[in-house]
Amino acid sequence: MTIRNKAAIVGIGQTEFSKDSGRSTLRMALEVVLEALGDAGLKPQDVDGVVKMGANDDIFEIDLLRSLDLPNLRFFNEVPHGGGAACGTIAMAVAAVAAGMADVVVTFRSLNERSERRFGQSSAGGAVGGWMQYNLPHGLVTPAQWIAIFAQRYLYEYGWTTEELGRVAVLCRKHAATNPHAMMYGRPITLEEHQSSRWIAEPLRLLDCTLDTDGACAAVVVSADKAKRLKGKSAYIAAAAQGTGRRAEMMTSYQRASLCRLEEAEATAKELYRIAELGPTDIDVAELYDHFTPMVLMALEAYGFAPPGKAPELLGEGRLELDGDTPLNTHGGHLGEGYLHGFGHIVEGVRQIRGTAVNQVREVRTCLVTSGTAVPTSGVILSKEPY
Amino acid sequence: MGDVARPYPRPDRDTTPFWEAQNRHELVFQRCKQCEAVRYPVGPLCPRCRSFDFDWVVSGGRGTVHSYTVVHHQAHPAFPVPYTVVLAEMDEGPRVIAQLRTPPDGRCEIGMPVRVEWEDHPHQSLPVFVPDEDRGST
Ligand SMILES: [Zn+2]
Repeated sequence: MTIRNKAAIVGIGQTEFSKDSGRSTLRMALEVVLEALGDAGLKPQDVDGVVKMGANDDIFEIDLLRSLDLPNLRFFNEVPHGGGAACGTIAMAVAAVAAGMADVVVTFRSLNERSERRFGQSSAGGAVGGWMQYNLPHGLVTPAQWIAIFAQRYLYEYGWTTEELGRVAVLCRKHAATNPHAMMYGRPITLEEHQSSRWIAEPLRLLDCTLDTDGACAAVVVSADKAKRLKGKSAYIAAAAQGTGRRAEMMTSYQRASLCRLEEAEATAKELYRIAELGPTDIDVAELYDHFTPMVLMALEAYGFAPPGKAPELLGEGRLELDGDTPLNTHGGHLGEGYLHGFGHIVEGVRQIRGTAVNQVREVRTCLVTSGTAVPTSGVILSKEPY
Repeated sequence: MGDVARPYPRPDRDTTPFWEAQNRHELVFQRCKQCEAVRYPVGPLCPRCRSFDFDWVVSGGRGTVHSYTVVHHQAHPAFPVPYTVVLAEMDEGPRVIAQLRTPPDGRCEIGMPVRVEWEDHPHQSLPVFVPDEDRGST
């Protein structure tokens, strides 16, 4: 038995994305959960499962329980490893539904990352343990700096330049420019603007790095049988999986054989394609986690859209545009729409399957959504029809 | 150095000998007594043969730049920009993060030979890399 098409996302919710939401993360979480339940034709009292992302989130299932007065909450957990967890929350929801441990599972992300807590800044002082003790004392203190070490090696090994990174940013900003929901709506960039943006940590420039965002998203997962009885337009979950790599650390797995391959994403891809009985050529739209541009190139390779070192050719040939083979980050991704740690990608994936996205791709049957890279990660394949 | 102290390690029962060695200006790694595999970062078990028995071996302090970043955007008050952080692959195998003391031409390159020197900070001595003039660029 597999989990293939055993469950579906039947409701989604999303606040505006901004630099200052003007309200609490709890309030935003409640807004999107209610919106997602309404979208599905469900009520708060129907909810019996909550799965949250573990890192940097201060809203817990008991906060939802108290605020919404959930009388039947019987399945709750959280998925670790920051942005790697987004699709993992869907995977846990599918597991709960398939095992009969819950009927209606809510997953969500709510952050005031721009106005209250900026993750790109490090104030870590004092004594540090764990993996951080080998990096922070040397001034390697932020995600951009940790990722730069991988990116520099990738460009060196395959002979690419920072222009290849820039093309990822240009594409995401192009899609964001026509998405009224995006923080960068109406603000496309050129490759020249990318190349002249200031260095953050070489080879990463400002325009290679995700935005910081205030906002929230939610999704509701139920069994496929229940989905057929609900009013909402379902996105069936053809596969959901988590993946790891050897010698894993949080964003600093520098001891592994190659710094140019995303072992976690490769493992997730293998499991997703096995469960869904699909391959990369069957994917109609790809929403890939884009906190930093080089990781999108490596993810394209890990998920089988290009051989190792060849992802930049996809961009050069226009194959990731809305009318290309595999349209990429149709909402603008983290680089253009906003940074909800992968949850915006899930919501956009559902819209593409429903046919309701602003940058709608024609005849979408399947959508791959992936989560954070350089950490233990996760992904889902959404399907228009259960098969 | 800025006004704020840089982060420093919090030694635990596994890592204390490693950090004490650095305070003696020695870069050390663990070597498995069973299979002789050198391992890093510090941990109680050999991931290769699952033996708990190990020795500490002192690194020769030489390696090559495997990757690096030049940090331009200041994200922490203790680290004024610009500065270069190197991931060096040491001759013994492990890859080690440390700052590069900037060479005369100001640049860092992958493949550049480096060697360890030491800087004493209030809580902890730490290695820095310098270009290894005895060995030409590979
Ligand atoms: Zn061993």
